[in-house]
Amino acid sequence: MPADVTLNQSAKVARLRPTSPVRLARRVLWLAMRVAMPVVSVMLLWYLAIWLSGLPAFVIPLPERVLEVLWEERAFIFGHLLSTLQVAAIGFLWANVAGIGLAVLFDLLPPTRHMLMPAAITLRNVPYIALISVLMLAFGDSILSKTTIVALAGFFPVLINTMHGLRAADEVQLDRMRILNASWWQTFSQVRLPYALPSIVAAQEITGSGSIIVAIAAEWMISSTGLGYVINHAMQNYRGDKVYAVALLATALSFLIYSFVHALGKRLDWRAAGEQRRG
Amino acid sequence: MAAPISIRNVSRRFGDNWALRPVDLEIAAGEFIALVGPSGCGKTTLLRIVADLQDPTSGEVRIGEDSAAEARRKRLLGLVSQRPAVLPWKRAIDDVRFTQKIAGRVGFDPAKVLAEFGLAGHENKRARELSGGMLQRVNIASAMAHDPSVLLMDEPFAALDEMKREEIGEWFDRELSVRPKTVLFVTHHIDEAVMLADRLLVFSPAPGRVIEVVSVSVPVPRPRNHAFRQDPRFVAIAAHVRGLLMHQATA
Repeated sequence: MPADVTLNQSAKVARLRPTSPVRLARRVLWLAMRVAMPVVSVMLLWYLAIWLSGLPAFVIPLPERVLEVLWEERAFIFGHLLSTLQVAAIGFLWANVAGIGLAVLFDLLPPTRHMLMPAAITLRNVPYIALISVLMLAFGDSILSKTTIVALAGFFPVLINTMHGLRAADEVQLDRMRILNASWWQTFSQVRLPYALPSIVAAQEITGSGSIIVAIAAEWMISSTGLGYVINHAMQNYRGDKVYAVALLATALSFLIYSFVHALGKRLDWRAAGEQRRG
Repeated sequence: MAAPISIRNVSRRFGDNWALRPVDLEIAAGEFIALVGPSGCGKTTLLRIVADLQDPTSGEVRIGEDSAAEARRKRLLGLVSQRPAVLPWKRAIDDVRFTQKIAGRVGFDPAKVLAEFGLAGHENKRARELSGGMLQRVNIASAMAHDPSVLLMDEPFAALDEMKREEIGEWFDRELSVRPKTVLFVTHHIDEAVMLADRLLVFSPAPGRVIEVVSVSVPVPRPRNHAFRQDPRFVAIAAHVRGLLMHQATA
């Protein structure tokens, strides 16, 4: 009887824990599927749209033509890509400085929230097109005007998520800090900020990938550099394939940024700490 | 070093509603006081006023020579809540050290005390890796880490099952004999209160007022163990308190 039990338990363990080559093969297969499936599904939809719509190649070019353009004009596109990345990165940085900075200020001095929040909401609701036009008039086609637009578009989600995160700290933990007569900074850095981190990272997922899109939109309207300019230029020359090439690149870039921030967020998320240790 | 507590005419009102009718009580240094009563009777409110986490509408609390605010500023108080305040991203030993770091005072060696608390081998585990009983022990170790004079406990064992509750209660009683503290202990559990306390403050239903102070220490000295639960004195005191609460509930 004990032998049977041991045998059954061993079989159960073997089922739950496959040998390492099998696990590795499964993992590789799973990763390959994760990469391949989105590409395959997008391609299928793309071909289906061409086939069903009957639109000319200018409006919906074949995927292989788009990839061809991307390769042929890589030097030209890469130069403009760097310009877009610069605008997006600086704007993203300012969005975070403003968003996190304001949220911390509201936590430190609650009355400032009532003073500044209406202005933040107003800025958020002004149409970006109007803002871009005003900034164009004020600063011309400069990096300042473009990064300002990216920062304005990005700071609000960062502000709201950081505020929400700072308020998410467990009351029991806050009582503990009060009873220990902790300073504002100790409570902020040791309790409020760690509790806010998952919310702040979630905001980065939105703002990080969104910065590329907003930078392209700003360049499309007012710039003579960047991927937005390339799209504008291509449209004027009836180069739909080039528009698609840039769109594809921008989408891939946004996706990469999102994935990077998401992976970084998982590493920083204290809620997963215990599980990671067990795993 | 345990400190005496003086509660003088302390009350609390929220708008037109009394949460706590005036309470007067002198607590000796090292005394264990249990606050017993139905939900909403003001037990936690009184505890939070002593902790300086809430202001009283009237009266004052003195802890030794200090007001409650001064005692909190001097880090003379330790707080144990029903939900453990162990930081989820910290390992057990680091959480105990964290209290000492914030309080700027090392009460004892964390590793040694965690071992005494039956947590040897679990020092490096995080909150979610510990059982409810273990987590509450870490919580108590963290609350005591800076060697406070007064320990304020708000239903600390409520989330534990009956067996675990009894086990941890007896363990806590032994701990207090090693590290004496003045304790204010909120509970709904009459047996637990009689088992642990020197005196019980029995509260009426809301608006809460103290209907009787029941002494346990006079008939029953410490240390107490599970055998005390079968002692006729334990049964009599528990029945008396239960009777008081039942009478109030039906009055």
